[in-house]
Amino acid sequence: MTRQWTGPEVAAVAERLVPGAVDRSTPAACYLKAEKLVETMAALHAAGETDFVHLTNLCGVDFWDHFEVVYHVQSFVNNAIACIKVDVLDRDRPAVPSVCSVWRGAWMQECETYDLFGIRFEGHPNLHRILLWDGYPGWPLRKDFLSMPGGLQPGLDEFSGTKRREPPPVSVAE
Amino acid sequence: MPAFLITNNWYDFRDLGNLSGKLLDLLDDALPFGVVYVIAALLGFVASFVIFVLPSQLFVGVYGERKLIGRIQSRYGPNRVGPFGLLQPIADAIKLMQKEALTPTSADRALMYLAPIVFVAPCVLLFAVIPFGPNMVFADIPVAIVYFLAVSSIPVLTTFMAGWSHNNKYSLFGAMRVVAMTISYELPLVLGMLGVVLFTATLGLQSTVLWQKEMDIWLVFLQPLAFAIFFLGASAELNRTPTDIAEAESEIVAGYLTEYSGMKWGLFYGMDIGYAIAAAAFGVTVFLGGWTFFGLEKWVPPWLIFIGKTYLFYFLFIWTRGTLPRLRIDQLMTFAWKFMLPIALLNLVIVATERMFWVEEKADDSIVYAFALINIIAAAAAIYGWSRALGYRPENTPQKARLVSEAGGFVPVDAHGEGSK
Amino acid sequence: MSGIIKSEPFTLNIGPQHPSTHGVFRIKVKVDGERIVDAEMVMGYLHRAMEKLAEERTYTQNIPFTDRTDYLASMSNNLGYVLAVEKLAGIGVPDRGNAIRVIMAELQRIASHCMAVGAFTNDTGAWQTPVMWCFRERERVLDLFEMTSGARLTCNYMRIGGVAFDLPREFEPATRKLLADLPGFIDEIEGLLVGNEIFLARTRGVGMLSAETATNFSLSGPMLRGSGIAWDIRKADPYCGYEKYDFQIPIGYQGDAFDRFIVRLEEMRQSVKIVQQALDALPGGPHSTHVPLALRPPAGEAYARVEGPRGELGYYVVSDEGPSPYRFHIRPPSFINLSALKEMTVGGTVADAIVVLGSIDIVVGEIDR
Repeated sequence: MTRQWTGPEVAAVAERLVPGAVDRSTPAACYLKAEKLVETMAALHAAGETDFVHLTNLCGVDFWDHFEVVYHVQSFVNNAIACIKVDVLDRDRPAVPSVCSVWRGAWMQECETYDLFGIRFEGHPNLHRILLWDGYPGWPLRKDFLSMPGGLQPGLDEFSGTKRREPPPVSVAE
Repeated sequence: MPAFLITNNWYDFRDLGNLSGKLLDLLDDALPFGVVYVIAALLGFVASFVIFVLPSQLFVGVYGERKLIGRIQSRYGPNRVGPFGLLQPIADAIKLMQKEALTPTSADRALMYLAPIVFVAPCVLLFAVIPFGPNMVFADIPVAIVYFLAVSSIPVLTTFMAGWSHNNKYSLFGAMRVVAMTISYELPLVLGMLGVVLFTATLGLQSTVLWQKEMDIWLVFLQPLAFAIFFLGASAELNRTPTDIAEAESEIVAGYLTEYSGMKWGLFYGMDIGYAIAAAAFGVTVFLGGWTFFGLEKWVPPWLIFIGKTYLFYFLFIWTRGTLPRLRIDQLMTFAWKFMLPIALLNLVIVATERMFWVEEKADDSIVYAFALINIIAAAAAIYGWSRALGYRPENTPQKARLVSEAGGFVPVDAHGEGSK
Repeated sequence: MSGIIKSEPFTLNIGPQHPSTHGVFRIKVKVDGERIVDAEMVMGYLHRAMEKLAEERTYTQNIPFTDRTDYLASMSNNLGYVLAVEKLAGIGVPDRGNAIRVIMAELQRIASHCMAVGAFTNDTGAWQTPVMWCFRERERVLDLFEMTSGARLTCNYMRIGGVAFDLPREFEPATRKLLADLPGFIDEIEGLLVGNEIFLARTRGVGMLSAETATNFSLSGPMLRGSGIAWDIRKADPYCGYEKYDFQIPIGYQGDAFDRFIVRLEEMRQSVKIVQQALDALPGGPHSTHVPLALRPPAGEAYARVEGPRGELGYYVVSDEGPSPYRFHIRPPSFINLSALKEMTVGGTVADAIVVLGSIDIVVGEIDR
């Protein structure tokens, strides 16, 4: 079975490799500080005990007041996977350093995250809207993106009452 | 069978040439000078093209090919229109005529319209020199082989016209590929033909057939290398599948045909088949004894033998089309220049030596059987040896993937392990 | 060509309407003659915002969406999604349900690889013949799906907690008959192509990726294994009881298009083995656990992945205790496998680019989602 690294485990190693890199950790994931992200990722990529050579999954999540960028990284030799996250607090101009210098294959997933969430990846060689066209209004996967004219939302009336259908607590970007 | 029917007179059903010759003789007496040539030309056109080529295109080229490829691909092929789907080519032709012939706005209209027409004419001309039977050759010119090779080079110009005129990059790709490839393949093709000509000491097609009849051996046995070169070169020039890089459907959409629609495309499509049939007829005439079949032509109409052989030869084209992947342009060029050209030159040297020996020693004609044996062995040795020399190593190619039982990291290729290179 | 003949690169659009882009996908290549000097991908023509739509539907209602991402491997996509939800909600699956899932996922792998191999050989220019042979066998797999789930392509068969229906009575004999025929078919394809000099010339050494590059570009599935990395989620992180079955991971030699081809062929053989074992040891009992229709998993997140036919197929689901996922993210293998396309095509010819694209085995529904 693949060893699932818990958040504190990753945090301990990351803190040892790059002091001051870890923001916090939950059982599921380790939260890194954005400014030390690339350095820490490179260290985790290179270190023998972690050996996270393969960036499996990269995606964003919108939590109304902030974004999270989620990285799932894995090691073939150690057969281990870990979940690393970064908080993006600035909702108006969200930006995260790009990990393309560590995993070159991250470029497409970063483009996708930029396309759908509007999170800029700084240092990305060619950040562009990969699925939608340039000039598309808004960032579709943000929770405050009203997908239909007139603010109507698709969905099911019988399952109403979720937080998402309440008016957005923050101003709509763009 | 009543013996009086096979007397080589005009009523001899085996040779329709006698009949037409008789007819022309009669007309020559009755009509003013010269008219008979026009009639003869029309007759030749009707006989060779309307009776043979067009039905061949429709029912062998279109229907037969689709049906056979269907069987190769384990499906039925056309079976809806008419009995056994036989009317499918006619339905296709009607459909093509109804279709709109689109012209891109930035196309060179004159060239674009001219190309299909120029493409058709040489195909008709090619059949003029093909002997269908002892007297059934429309123009038995003494340089028929040269004529055939020359006329069959005209379509290259047409395809270039077609590709250039559209202002389409895919078309241009196809056109450039055609030009490059044809120039490369013309050379070994002609050199291969030279070997044949050296043996038979004639450039005429009818005389080549007669030579084979007299010697009682087909040139395919005497000239296996030349036959291989002819087949590969012809399939390259005809854009048949292993070498159809000019149309390369999966790469450049349809090559020079990308922008053609309707009957303009239909002419190209139909005449492609026409050229293939012409090449098959030429190959049969030169290499497979033409209308002869080791004495059978006395009893069976020779034109039937010839047509049967032509269709069988055409089946080879269908077969390769249904089986082989396509080569890349640089590989095709490499093949032509590095493989076929030296082999063709070697063939020429062997043939010249043998011919010299034959003439100088005044050897008996039965020596051709010895030559055939030598040439078949030499062909096999040359093909194998030269391909090894060029780096052909089938034993080094892994046939199966390596298998591992545990997941983990990189597994280096074991230098001595199973399937190593 | 340097010096003597002046040449000027020009841009060629391969796609979006092109016979070999396997859908509406476009590569803008800059070519110098036949040689590619630059390649840029343009995608999104089929973007349906599935990740957004899924946020507005219940967990069960999202299963049909997963069919329509990778429409050539709907069973595997169903499986990845329901595994993620089960992981999130802590739902167990009965043994029979797991065994049926394995059978379906492996049959789907065979069907998908049939398509991959066929389309790939078509890209090399084998005029439809291998495609038709592959389709013939794929049809038989799809017949089994139709028998079981009622649909051939978008099966919508897996459910959270098991599968939708139990296997029909005629499924087992039909599958056994297919399994008896499949090895012969794979040998047939192998005999047609693996020894074919033209095919070898077209695929060997084309689109080479070293193991390091393949890893660094986040590739997965046959792309990764073709480069010689023994990585298969079924072995590394077994789900649905894959640890019970005896099979091996095929890997390639140097990471070219040909290696990916033989890896796929061998994977089909291994899949036949797995289905055989799963059928032999098919447990009785229920095929599904009862899961409420309006499932509200506890708040949290789960990332579950399966070894899909095209590679690591991951689903990342975040729950906020609502009836529908708060965030639904698909890790599409063929999208990420494309990230190395430029590496593989630049320097080759246009014909090579087509072969490389075929060897990646893209499904545009999955790339664009």
